[in-house]
Amino acid sequence: MSVLVNDSTTTAAERPPAKAPGHRRAWVFTIVAGVIALIVNVPLLNAVLVSFKPDGEIAKNPISLPTSPTLDHYANVLYASGYDFPRFFANSAMIAVGTVLLVLVIAIPATYAIVRLNFGGRWIISSASGLRLLPAIFFVVPFFILFSTLGLADTIPGLIAANTFLNLPLAIILLSSALGDIPQEIEEAAAVDGASIYRTLGSIVLPLLAPTMVAVSVLVFIFSWNDYLFALVLSTSSATPVTLGAANFITSTGIRWGDISAASVLSTLPPLLFAVFAQRYLVSGLSSGAVKG
Amino acid sequence: MPPTVAERPRSSATERRKRTTAAVILSLPLILFAAVFVIYPLASGALTAFQSSTLLDQSNEPNGIDNFVSLFRSDGFAKAAGFTLGFSAAVVAIEMVLGFALALLMNRAFPGKKLFFTLLLLPIMVAPALLGVMFRLLLNGDIGALPALLDSVGLSVSLFSPDSVVPLLVVLDVLQWTPFTFLIIYAGLQSFPKELLEASAMDGAGYLRSLTSVIVPVLKPVLFAAFFLRAIDAIRTFDVIYVLTAGGPGTSTTTLSIYIYKTAFESGDFGKAAAAALVVLVCLIPFVPFIVRRISSTGMEAKK
Repeated sequence: MSVLVNDSTTTAAERPPAKAPGHRRAWVFTIVAGVIALIVNVPLLNAVLVSFKPDGEIAKNPISLPTSPTLDHYANVLYASGYDFPRFFANSAMIAVGTVLLVLVIAIPATYAIVRLNFGGRWIISSASGLRLLPAIFFVVPFFILFSTLGLADTIPGLIAANTFLNLPLAIILLSSALGDIPQEIEEAAAVDGASIYRTLGSIVLPLLAPTMVAVSVLVFIFSWNDYLFALVLSTSSATPVTLGAANFITSTGIRWGDISAASVLSTLPPLLFAVFAQRYLVSGLSSGAVKG
Repeated sequence: MPPTVAERPRSSATERRKRTTAAVILSLPLILFAAVFVIYPLASGALTAFQSSTLLDQSNEPNGIDNFVSLFRSDGFAKAAGFTLGFSAAVVAIEMVLGFALALLMNRAFPGKKLFFTLLLLPIMVAPALLGVMFRLLLNGDIGALPALLDSVGLSVSLFSPDSVVPLLVVLDVLQWTPFTFLIIYAGLQSFPKELLEASAMDGAGYLRSLTSVIVPVLKPVLFAAFFLRAIDAIRTFDVIYVLTAGGPGTSTTTLSIYIYKTAFESGDFGKAAAAALVVLVCLIPFVPFIVRRISSTGMEAKK
């Protein structure tokens, strides 16, 4: 949402002339917003703090900051203790990147055909929105049976397919509304110049769609990185992603709280980095009314 | 669009055939994918609901409505439905009010706004399952900061006891998803006509009245979208609760999603799980076209 970004810059520019009493009142909002921002992030901050505490300190003073911070838990999780965590992390990365690519490859040409070449009609877009609203749990049993039959159970391609299923509707919705905003005259001019439909799509439409493609990629990456339900059902060991792996840490390693917190912090890092650095795309994608939980 | 009108008559039959061929080729990946991973699972899921099928034996003998009979005879399904509806109603109501208040609070300039805006969005990006793990770190009786904090002020509550677990889960859901309702409503406020806001601020009638008589009516479509998107997601809640309580103690926090999952993969009764999923699906489908219409119209407005 560009409105949003513009707005925050203009208000920043407007601030200096503000009168003194108004200025003092503004700080009240700073404090209130700061406290709320802190509260909603308490679980995350707590996990970060625990991950830097030596084992002895974790149980002794749960509330305080780490007095002698350590990186041991991160070392344990990443290489020292022989956990499967690095493999889970690699699985998640492959699943998320693979899903982004597959979603784009399927959604872009199809959306172009639907919106510009009037293929099938608008009902496809509407049913994509509808599909997003149906509970994913309905598909758990049929997917389990289907994936066992196809040999996709506990494989990376299998989880890529499942996450593509979850995210395609969102991609089609966002791409179709972006296509609707691109003036058709440009494509018509290209057609008059003799460009084929594929060339028009590849060299004229794709560059214009680039910002939306970035938004879709960021959202799809985060959502497939964060998936848990399908990972739980469709992976047993070799395709296990971090969400499942980190949740299993608790039972499989007993009470190694420091390692668990380091693992959960590391696993949350990729989506959080996107949240910070690609915020503009996230906000536009999420607030155009199409979101997954 | 004059150029379009001018060109259409020129496009010959071969031109049109070319476009159709291209459309089919471009849509082919979607058609194939949807056939295998959407249409087929929908059909086979609906079919499984009328078969005796288990984790170990998928011979799929048709058994009529036996699955539905056993579903409605056992009180597990009704209990899960009741818990899911109650839980969803509570969290969505609280998240709408808090998200709206937060959006109004953030809808002005103050120092540090950009930073806090980013921080407020972080919980939405954390995987619910990982947030469940983090909640366990925070709430654990031995090492958790919250029990320690409560202990130090003389309160000793067992957070996961049957009495406190449901309110606890409501609070946790509110912590994660209030940022979401906030984001949707805040985005709506950005497209709110500034003059209207300023006019109502000048008006001596008071903030509360301008809120109820100006802001809420104009924001209605956005509030509606936030409400339904959250409600739909709340109804299918699985990850956080499954990681934290696995539906317990007993079945007191079993949502419909957890019930269906457990029926399928712990009891191994695919037929009954598919029947439960079908009932949920059939109950939700009537709302879908309605919501899609409302949400897609707000999507348009938000962009303008």
